[in-house]
Amino acid sequence: MSELPTDPTPDSFTAFKDSFSYGARSDLNFKFLKNLSDADAAGFVQELLHRLGDAFDDGDMSRLLEHVLTWQARGYAGAGRWTYVDAPFTPLRKPLAASRLALLTSSGHFVAGDDPQPFGIPHMTQAQAEARINDFIQEEPVLSVIPTDTLTANLRVRHGGYDIRSAQADPNVAFPLDRLRELAQEGRIGELAPAAYSFVGACAQTPLLKRIGPAWAELLQAQAVDAVVLVPV
Amino acid sequence: MSVGHVARLLEAQGIATVVIAVAAFRERLEAMSLPRLVITPHLMGRPLGMPSDAARQRAVLLAALALLENAAQGKAVTVMPHAPGSS
Repeated sequence: MSELPTDPTPDSFTAFKDSFSYGARSDLNFKFLKNLSDADAAGFVQELLHRLGDAFDDGDMSRLLEHVLTWQARGYAGAGRWTYVDAPFTPLRKPLAASRLALLTSSGHFVAGDDPQPFGIPHMTQAQAEARINDFIQEEPVLSVIPTDTLTANLRVRHGGYDIRSAQADPNVAFPLDRLRELAQEGRIGELAPAAYSFVGACAQTPLLKRIGPAWAELLQAQAVDAVVLVPV
Repeated sequence: MSVGHVARLLEAQGIATVVIAVAAFRERLEAMSLPRLVITPHLMGRPLGMPSDAARQRAVLLAALALLENAAQGKAVTVMPHAPGSS
């Protein structure tokens, strides 16, 4: 009689909750679990399952969304690394209906065929990007130029910092180019700049702050952009 | 918080900005003292709402455009309520 396989050492609850953040159970919708105490994470899971039980009966998902929203916010609570007292402020110089507007997001979108090829890797997959998140945050950001008339079907997205499935299914959830085109067509906005822009927000902050961000500002100034809609993910 | 840096840099160079971000980022972005910020009650990765919810995406953009037009000074924040019938 052969020996039964020995059970692998079970994860501690701490290891379990932490594994959703780039670990064995990596799931970027739930990576915030790592930021919670064991007690809070356990409470989150218990309540999630309880609400799931209710959703079985009436199909109403909103209670699940509400629960995850609440705990995502708790997982990211706190001021973080960058705090400033004063806000620089430029009033809009003209009515919006006469202004030129640009879109710039950190969602990691790019046009098919114009892959920014991080680390020189062609066709990097989302899984590869997630595996290299620690390399990304030390790498200078690369701005993808997305002509404003690009069909959203021709957009691609890759970003090791968040679950891209929604942004892939409909880029407008984070890169609202279709919606902005509609608003420009209706005259709510004077016009869109010739291009929209996107980069991977998980990147080295110091070069962004000192050199790259200012260069982006010059680029937008050169295009006579009056206002920019910015979307972090 | 890359986009917070970009907002501040653009604004200092004379370009008006508005940032659209999910509620989970609110404290971090407010700590950065942004010129204009719209906070949406959406899950991370979907700041303008769920896929194919064009009406919601549009409503978020309209809130952002209104803030661009109406903010009189920096640290202007609009917190969007939940969309009717959703979370």
